[in-house]
Amino acid sequence: MSKCDQFRELIEAYALGALDAEERVAFEAHVATGCQDCAKAVEEARWLVSQLGYLAPDARPSEMLKGRLMRSVRTEARTAQGSVRPKTSIPFWMWAGVAALLLLTLYSAWDARRLQRDIQAANERATAILQQRKELEAQLRLAKREARILTDPNSKKIMLPPKDSLMPQLEAMWHPELGLCVMGQKVPMPANKRVFQLWLIPKTPGSKPMPMQTLWPDADGKMVRLVENTPEPMWNTKAIAITEEPEGGSLQPTSEPMWIGGIS
Amino acid sequence: MFLAVLTPKDSSEVSPDAMLIQQLLQRDVDAFEQLYDRHSRIVYALVLRIVQQGSTAEEVVQEVFLQLWRNAARYDTRRGPFVPWLMALARNRALDHVRLKSERQRRREDQTEELPPVIDVPQFERALDEKRRAERVRALMSLLNPQQKKAIELAYFEGLSHTEIAETLKEPLGTVKSRIRNGLLRLKEGLRAAT
Repeated sequence: MSKCDQFRELIEAYALGALDAEERVAFEAHVATGCQDCAKAVEEARWLVSQLGYLAPDARPSEMLKGRLMRSVRTEARTAQGSVRPKTSIPFWMWAGVAALLLLTLYSAWDARRLQRDIQAANERATAILQQRKELEAQLRLAKREARILTDPNSKKIMLPPKDSLMPQLEAMWHPELGLCVMGQKVPMPANKRVFQLWLIPKTPGSKPMPMQTLWPDADGKMVRLVENTPEPMWNTKAIAITEEPEGGSLQPTSEPMWIGGIS
Repeated sequence: MFLAVLTPKDSSEVSPDAMLIQQLLQRDVDAFEQLYDRHSRIVYALVLRIVQQGSTAEEVVQEVFLQLWRNAARYDTRRGPFVPWLMALARNRALDHVRLKSERQRRREDQTEELPPVIDVPQFERALDEKRRAERVRALMSLLNPQQKKAIELAYFEGLSHTEIAETLKEPLGTVKSRIRNGLLRLKEGLRAAT
C-alpha cells in the first residue's frame, strides 16, 4: 500500500472533521505536498459530507429572525451607502461643456497666434512702407531741390567736357544756396569695382582738389548727383572735375580727370 | 477564506443561486432576501439539530447569513455549488456555539479557516430541489446499520473526533473509523446509484 493509499483512507473522516489532531496534521501535510488525487478526493468528500445536513429534521425559523436579519442588512446597506463618498459623477452636459471650452481655448490660442503673426507681418509691412515713404520723400525732396537748382535763375551752368572724345559731355548746375547738381546721359559704367568721384578745385593757389561724392550711371546711362553742401563755395571754386576712383572713393585723385569744367 | 462555489463546472447554465450571489456582490438587499428565503430553512434545521435550542439556532443562523452578506465580495462565483458551502459554514458556526474554548474548538476553528474554497460536485451529482435531496439522503442513511449511522451523526452533528466517538460509544477506535468510512462510502455509492 502506497503512502497515498494510506492517506486516502482518511479522506472522508478528514472532510467530516473526525480525524484526531495527529492524523489531521499528517494528512494536511500530505495534501500540501501537491497530491492532486487526494486534494480532488477531499473536495468530493466535502460535498458528500455536506449532504449529511439533510439528515436534520425539517424545521422553519421564525419570521422574527428574518425581520431582525433584514433590518440589520438594510441598516448596513444604508450605512455603507452613506459612508461611500458621494460619487463625483459629472453629467454629460458638463463634459460637453468642458470639451467645448477646451476647443474654444485651443481655437483662441491658435487664433491669437495667427493674429500675432498677422500683426507682426503688418508691422513689418508698415515699417517697410514707412521706410519706402521716407526714401520717396527724400527722393522727392532731392528731386524738388534738383528741379529748383535746374530752374532757378541764380544757378550757374557749368559744362564738363570729357577728356576722351568718345565719352559724353556732362553738365552741372550750381546754386549758391541749394547746391550743386551734376548730370549726364549715356555715361558708360566705370570699370569693375571703380566709381566716378566729384572734385572741387579751389581758386586758392596751392590748394588740393576737394573730394566730394562718388557717382555712377544707372542702367540706361543716366547719371545725376546732387551735392547739397559743397566743401567750397562757388565763388572760391575754380573748376569741377570727375575722376575714376576705387570703390568707396579717395581723399586724393588717383587718376587724371575724365571730365573737368571751369567756373568763370 | 470563504469562497462560494456556485455553478457546476460541467454546466454553462447559470444557477439561480449564482445570479443572486452576483447581485449580492452589488449589495443588493433584495437578492440577499431571496437567498435567505431559498436556504434559511435547511440552514436553520441543520443548526437546530446541532445546537438543540431554538433561540441559539436563530442566533447562529443570523450570524451565518450576516457573514454571507458581509463577505460576499470575497466569494468566488466561478466555482461549485452554493448550498454545500453554506451548509458547511452553518455547521461550523453551530459547532462553535456548542463547544467551549477547548482543543476541539481550536481544531474546528482551524479547519474553518482552512476550509477549501470548493465543495466540488461529483460527476454523478444532479440538480435536485432541497426536499427531494433530503428525502434521498435520509433514505440512503436509513439503509446503513444503526452503528454506522450513529457514528456518522456523532461526527457530523456533534463534531466529535474518532477518539471521542469511540469513547462515547465505548467501541474500539479502529471499529469507529471503519464504520464511519464504510458508512460514508455506502452513502456515496447510494447517491451515485440513485442518479
